Amino acid sequence: MGIRERVAKLVGEMPRAPQFPSQGATLFVDLERRETSTAYTPLGVTRTLLGGRGANMYYLYRLLDESLSPLDPNIPMIFGSGPLTGLVPSAARGNCTSWSPESGVLLDANAGDYFPSFIRMNGFDHVVLYGKAPSWTVIIIREGVVTLEDGTPYVGMDNIDMREAIARDTGGTWARNLAMVNITRAGENGVLASGVMAGPKAIYARGGPGAKMGSLGLKAIVTLAQTHEFPTAQPYKPYNRVIAQKLLATSVVKNALSTQGTPFLYKPSRLLGAMGTKNNQETTWTEKLDAEHFDHYRPGMEGCFRCPVNCRPLNDLHKATPDKYDQGDGPEYVTLGKFGPNLGIDSVASVIRLNNICNDLGLDTASTGSALGWAFELFQRGIITTADTGGVALAWGDAATIERLLFMTAAREGFGNVLADSTRAVERGHYPPEAMKYRIAVKGLGQSDPHDARILKAFALGLAVATRGMDHLRNRATLEINARINDNPAFKTELYGGPVSAEPTSYVDKERAVRACENIYAVGDSVGMCRFTTKLFNSPSLPGMEEFRTQLANVTGLEFTADELEQCGLNVMGVERLINHRLGVRRKDDTLPDRWFDEPNPSGPYKGERIDRQEFDAMLSRFYEISRLTNEGVPTEAWRKQLAGALGA
Amino acid sequence: MAITVNFPAAFYPLAGQSMIVRESVSTVGQLIQALDRLVPGISKELDDPLYNIAVNDEILLHAVDSRPVKDGDVVEVIPSMAGG
Repeated sequence: MGIRERVAKLVGEMPRAPQFPSQGATLFVDLERRETSTAYTPLGVTRTLLGGRGANMYYLYRLLDESLSPLDPNIPMIFGSGPLTGLVPSAARGNCTSWSPESGVLLDANAGDYFPSFIRMNGFDHVVLYGKAPSWTVIIIREGVVTLEDGTPYVGMDNIDMREAIARDTGGTWARNLAMVNITRAGENGVLASGVMAGPKAIYARGGPGAKMGSLGLKAIVTLAQTHEFPTAQPYKPYNRVIAQKLLATSVVKNALSTQGTPFLYKPSRLLGAMGTKNNQETTWTEKLDAEHFDHYRPGMEGCFRCPVNCRPLNDLHKATPDKYDQGDGPEYVTLGKFGPNLGIDSVASVIRLNNICNDLGLDTASTGSALGWAFELFQRGIITTADTGGVALAWGDAATIERLLFMTAAREGFGNVLADSTRAVERGHYPPEAMKYRIAVKGLGQSDPHDARILKAFALGLAVATRGMDHLRNRATLEINARINDNPAFKTELYGGPVSAEPTSYVDKERAVRACENIYAVGDSVGMCRFTTKLFNSPSLPGMEEFRTQLANVTGLEFTADELEQCGLNVMGVERLINHRLGVRRKDDTLPDRWFDEPNPSGPYKGERIDRQEFDAMLSRFYEISRLTNEGVPTEAWRKQLAGALGA
Repeated sequence: MAITVNFPAAFYPLAGQSMIVRESVSTVGQLIQALDRLVPGISKELDDPLYNIAVNDEILLHAVDSRPVKDGDVVEVIPSMAGG
């Protein structure tokens, strides 16, 4: 059955009218035939998976043909916002979902800024894209009216130029009535580490969504609409005030996110001896990159739509004659880590400039930094030489060469063509098989958070089992590093729904922390809430299931208990694992890089620590058991049947 | 006895950038009590999961209050969080 038949069958089963107040339609766009249709996510799907990331999984599960390949235009790409997106403070997020050309498993990336909210202002909760446009195309959605327009004038533009051109050509104003998701040259060129930009810095980053969107011949989706209030089941603004007050009163927001942003984590990571350095050969790095050294370069903070937190640091390198990369947005901690210690760079100014270049080129800093770190270690070891790199010497800390390599990667020029293939460089014949030993990736995805998790066992388990690959944002049990929580067993038990060892290096009960985090983060994604302000990621005091269920009831009229929301989170993970199983993922893929098993941590108070294979395997089994998964990591038969019923499969 | 305690920016209005505790203490828990005598209320501010304590650049993840300290140690309050 081809994609059009699959879509027709699915749309035929879907309601033609909203199933609850505030629900937006799902827009199906056949880019090849330039046809559109709409329908509404069934209520049973919403009750099982909520919306946003969760409902995206429904669409991918139903439309995926695993006999094809990720960049085949008959593999759909889905954007989705949550039912609270655009309505609730700090709920400005949406997900982008497909089959990853980079990892080969699930692609599911999350971003904020304005697009996820503004697409809802146009009446759409989800956009399902398929087919290859006959020529480069831009989708314009103006006050709910969809047109497919010529995208060729924008071909070759990166993010900065693209945003300038679209604002000029549409007459819209960013952050007031105009939002966009777009690819850059990297996406046009099929760079596997390319993302879909959602703002000056915001990016649907992980898994190569830029390459996927480029494979459809789609340069951008642009929304134009005045912001407005939604008709909701009940008044929701009074409780918004409660949530906003809760956000702003929480220490991590007040004293960290709103003042300096996420680079705060650099210092504890390096003191702990957990700062991934030089492709995780080392685990600590210079104090010159501590968050306070960014203060001089930070003229202010920015935020996403209707978010009171404003956690995004802006930057200005104060050059007398600046070029377009001497000012910008960011960096976040991930970028600081991946383009600082990971590449042996010790200059704040260099990290900021490389961050700004990645923002323009549309490169996922996690995957690009991982690909660079891997290549640099291979060069250090003599596994590749200048004969392989086109004469480019790969020396740790050489920011000028790294800058040049970023442009070469986006263009797939010279050695940039190798870096553009990211984790697949061995499979594509660029590196010899022995290079795999030094690849820091899980399920084909390079690590996001540069934290070396040989010490923290809950963190390690989370990276192993995350459905999109080696990424902390799916389930990081961050509070594992907070001593005040570790030293309060009763409170920690309450937080995770059972006891979890206080010792960071212990394996005991760590699966429970990962399960709890995975559930609440999946729910957060599926309602549209930001991870930074979701309970358990950065604080025990931020909005969680109780706040989500209250606003879901107010906005949609749908009642959920906290336990039912927990089950929704579990269901999202379950469907993702069913999708991954169809793509060949098995228990053996829920693992970690060999380095973390085989090489002891070389520095810090936990020097000598590594992951024990037997202990890890036992922890993984316990995780499967409490997650209702079989020994191969897929939902048990009884649960599979329940999910299949909800999915209409 | 002199133990130096360094604070992050959020504590500057309350305690300044740095303080020296001269009272005789032998653990981090006692040090925090001594700090509270110098700056009433600071122990409550420190009882916040955002903040970790490092002693001589060794960050403590658990069993903090019983961690020994001695004359000449440098103790630092460090915000710890996750990013994206």
